[in-house]
Amino acid sequence: MSGENFQAHEIRDKIIIQYKYTMGSQSKFFIELKNNKKLLGTKCTKCGKTWMPPRINCSECYEPADWIEMKQTGTIEVSTIVWYTTSAFIKAIPYGVAYVKLDGADTALLQGIFSENLVPSKVKKGSFVKAVFLKEREGKMTDFFFVPEDEYETWINKPEYEGGV
Amino acid sequence: MPNKVAIIGVGITPFRARYLDKTYFELAYDATKLALDDSNKNGAQISHKDLQSTVYGIYNELFERQFMPDIFTNSYLGMNDKPGTRIATGGATGGYTVRMAYAEVASGLTDLCLCIGLEKCNDCYDEQTGTTTPEVLNAIAYSADMTYEYPMGMMAASSYVSMVNAHYEEFGNPTEEQMAFVSVKNHGNAMLNPKAQSPMKITVEDVIYSRIICYPFKMLDCCLYSEASAALILASEQKVKELGIEKPIWITGVGAANTDCFIGNRESIGRLYSNIEAAKVAYKMAGLDYNNIKNQIDVAELHDAFSGQEVISYEELGFVPFGEGGPWIENSFEKSGEGPWLDGELPCCPSGGLIGCGHAVGATGIMSTGEAALQIREEAGKHQVRIEKGRAISHSIGGPGAAYAAIIVMANEEGLKKP
Repeated sequence: MSGENFQAHEIRDKIIIQYKYTMGSQSKFFIELKNNKKLLGTKCTKCGKTWMPPRINCSECYEPADWIEMKQTGTIEVSTIVWYTTSAFIKAIPYGVAYVKLDGADTALLQGIFSENLVPSKVKKGSFVKAVFLKEREGKMTDFFFVPEDEYETWINKPEYEGGV
Repeated sequence: MPNKVAIIGVGITPFRARYLDKTYFELAYDATKLALDDSNKNGAQISHKDLQSTVYGIYNELFERQFMPDIFTNSYLGMNDKPGTRIATGGATGGYTVRMAYAEVASGLTDLCLCIGLEKCNDCYDEQTGTTTPEVLNAIAYSADMTYEYPMGMMAASSYVSMVNAHYEEFGNPTEEQMAFVSVKNHGNAMLNPKAQSPMKITVEDVIYSRIICYPFKMLDCCLYSEASAALILASEQKVKELGIEKPIWITGVGAANTDCFIGNRESIGRLYSNIEAAKVAYKMAGLDYNNIKNQIDVAELHDAFSGQEVISYEELGFVPFGEGGPWIENSFEKSGEGPWLDGELPCCPSGGLIGCGHAVGATGIMSTGEAALQIREEAGKHQVRIEKGRAISHSIGGPGAAYAAIIVMANEEGLKKP
């Protein structure tokens, strides 16, 4: 069939679906993030496990979990610096991402790591980081990011960002 | 007791960067025809009309630009008015599809089942760079948690690298050199596999100095996304006898597990608990020993989407104790600089694996299972390894943080008898 005379016909297309989706019972996390720069986790009423990202039911105990305010400091559990990526993020390279365990949390949260000196040694396991917030927040995960502890003052003094509570 | 189930036919299309002359369902047709031909060379006399049901492994609707692509494939394969079910478990789609097709036959629901995986990713096209890959990666990135993780620029490589980096922090390996050697090995083995997309004779230095993707993965540490289809025909013991199959490959163990897709929820980030659980279940079902598995099988087709992940898999699948994967592969060959790497203590990815063959997601785990089956039929071709025990495994992982895992254990007639 597909011999020398074969000619392919290609059609340009895209799929776009619009959403206005509810975060359900996790809504409080995003509302507090947007309005009050708070990072809320949850704590199981039975086993005491702290969930971050939050879930209002403990997946281990099948018991409810209560909202708690988390500290805005944490430690990098594992990280990488991305140099080649998806079409949606390719203009942002290089960027750092890390799983950060907030102080007092039992789980680690994926977040962007911003640094004036984005090199592996600066964002390695065990590095202390602090949350920095956008001044213009929308109630989304991109409303905040983490920076190395020693760069915190630099970042919160930039016009578009501010420190937490 | 479940019915015994055998792989009686294997059909794998070439893995290619792009088929301009075939759609996804046309690729599936080719693989099905190849699998029927192989079954008939193996003693049967069957056509697609004899197949009683189909299990489809198709990962990503955005690749195929079609939701429920299985039903359109079903039409093109002439499988109307028979049951067909689709499995979609990320990179582990192939392995899980084999598991479900096994279950169809083992349960007695069907005697002759088509187990087929397919994927055609490179119809995705990124207009801003004028290339396919960033849009392919974007179509995959929608498999990350869309609220918490996708907005961070999460993608397949940065997800998998988390486990590798955490493993390195804990054990000091795999080093960049050890990962690079896996790449050299798998690209090199692919030189002997005519169906592979990325056959390359390269050195450790070539890998280390290739373009950085996400620290410390370089381009040659990563598999390329591919287009292909792979099919297996599975038959019950009764059907094997009835058809007079000469070399049935018996599926003796299937194991699968899903670990937490939120990497940050895991007790240790440097381990894929799904691999460990899936392996233990599959080996136990096959009567094999997790702690001695290396000496009980002839070959392993592993899921080397990223070189470092293959190294960690050696440990999770029980080949070596935790922390010893890097040194083991480094010292596994007498002359590690010269390929092909079809010997050593346990040959891994003689086909070239994903790094050498390419990753046609839904087809990949079925290709790996088919390759392992052909190895113990001693019909693998130029990349044939030495078969002594008559047993092999295939391994599939995938999903966010490689949460899904599936392992298939198989044996030839000799392998069923040997301890």
